[in-house]
Amino acid sequence: MKEYDATMAERLHPEIHSHVPSEPALRVKALETLLVEKELLDSAAVDAWVEVYSDEIGPKTGAGVVARAWCDDGFRTRLLDDGTAALKEIGISGWALGHLKAVANTDTVHNLVVCTLCSCYPHGLLGIQPSWYKLEAYRSRAVRDPRGVLAEFGVTLPESIGVDVWDSTAEVRYLVLPQRPAGTEDLDEAQLAALVTRNSMIGTERDLPIDAGGS
Amino acid sequence: MDGIHDVGGKLGFGPIKVTHDDAAFGQAWEGRMLGIARAISRPKDWNSDKFRHTRELEDPVLYLTRPYFDQWYKAYACMLVGAGVVTVAELAAGKSDGSRPKELPQPMPAETVAKAKQGGAQFERPYDEAPAYKIGDRVRASLISPTGHCRLPAYVRGHFGEVVDYYGAHVVADAAAHNEVKLEPLYSVRFLISDLFPERTGAADRVCLDLWESHLDDGD
Repeated sequence: MKEYDATMAERLHPEIHSHVPSEPALRVKALETLLVEKELLDSAAVDAWVEVYSDEIGPKTGAGVVARAWCDDGFRTRLLDDGTAALKEIGISGWALGHLKAVANTDTVHNLVVCTLCSCYPHGLLGIQPSWYKLEAYRSRAVRDPRGVLAEFGVTLPESIGVDVWDSTAEVRYLVLPQRPAGTEDLDEAQLAALVTRNSMIGTERDLPIDAGGS
Repeated sequence: MDGIHDVGGKLGFGPIKVTHDDAAFGQAWEGRMLGIARAISRPKDWNSDKFRHTRELEDPVLYLTRPYFDQWYKAYACMLVGAGVVTVAELAAGKSDGSRPKELPQPMPAETVAKAKQGGAQFERPYDEAPAYKIGDRVRASLISPTGHCRLPAYVRGHFGEVVDYYGAHVVADAAAHNEVKLEPLYSVRFLISDLFPERTGAADRVCLDLWESHLDDGD
């Protein structure tokens, strides 16, 4: 076997492109079949990963963490201080959660998360990235015109609220802690979690509606 | 490297295709590709930085037009061929010619996925030296453009910012993508968006990046 060599990768891209099946579904199928034949892959493990990301790991995990932070000031403080340690405390660990940083929205600050260089994301908390998070329109403009980006998501911010954008350039991953909506004093943690949307935990949504599912 | 992937601040990509409740995978093959990436028996020297760098080396036209998980396919295909694990002909046929590198471990069985999904790799390492900067320091993002993998985006290079957090010493991605193990202090550095982009003058909005020490110069 050979050591990784980026110069080889640059040469191989066009060569592979001109030889493999033209449809992504066929290419991926051929890769899976080949790797299974070579005893480098167990298709049952691929099934298991698909199931995990389709049904189990997703924004509900993150929503539970946000609701906990709304209900428990001590947990909120620990989450903002050391996200990874606070998650461990409630039994959550997972892919890309080795260095989690939670950032809280306030009356004067709104947080927005992006990865301009690829699509880094806290998978263990939020699952697979939404399609827009992976595309250049969002990745390019989030750091240059965050208010314009937010407006496209239907969020209009007054000048009194500053935007802090977090570009995930290393292995730190970000969770936005949205503000708890007013009028939810009577809701329990599970009802509160049902109000929290995926986009609010990335920062492309701000004011959570309280009729989404709490009652 | 100054590649197509470094899109921060670039204009012309059009409106965002806003969604609220996407399924994890739009199409079945996307899930298969993610599963392959998680479950494949891989050479010991692979890491996520090499994967990212391989994806950056995709033809720019394809980088901007191919579906995300198709780009994963291309990166894995390149890395597998580059390592000598499969050939281009095998990828094209979806059929093995029979050889298998003996040093590769047995593939991940389905039963271990439940444990593997809990893994969140740590990139901080013990480090004896003192970090060069402290919280509150004014720093300048280095004006560099290395030919290899580089996690310092072009849009901040040469600009002044403030250190707002210190994470300890982390494995340097720029080196890890090129078979090198290096440790450096990692900082959160905050820039005023109005300093980076002239049309934003007057706006108080800020952007924070996580940058290694070799990405920074003194800010005096």
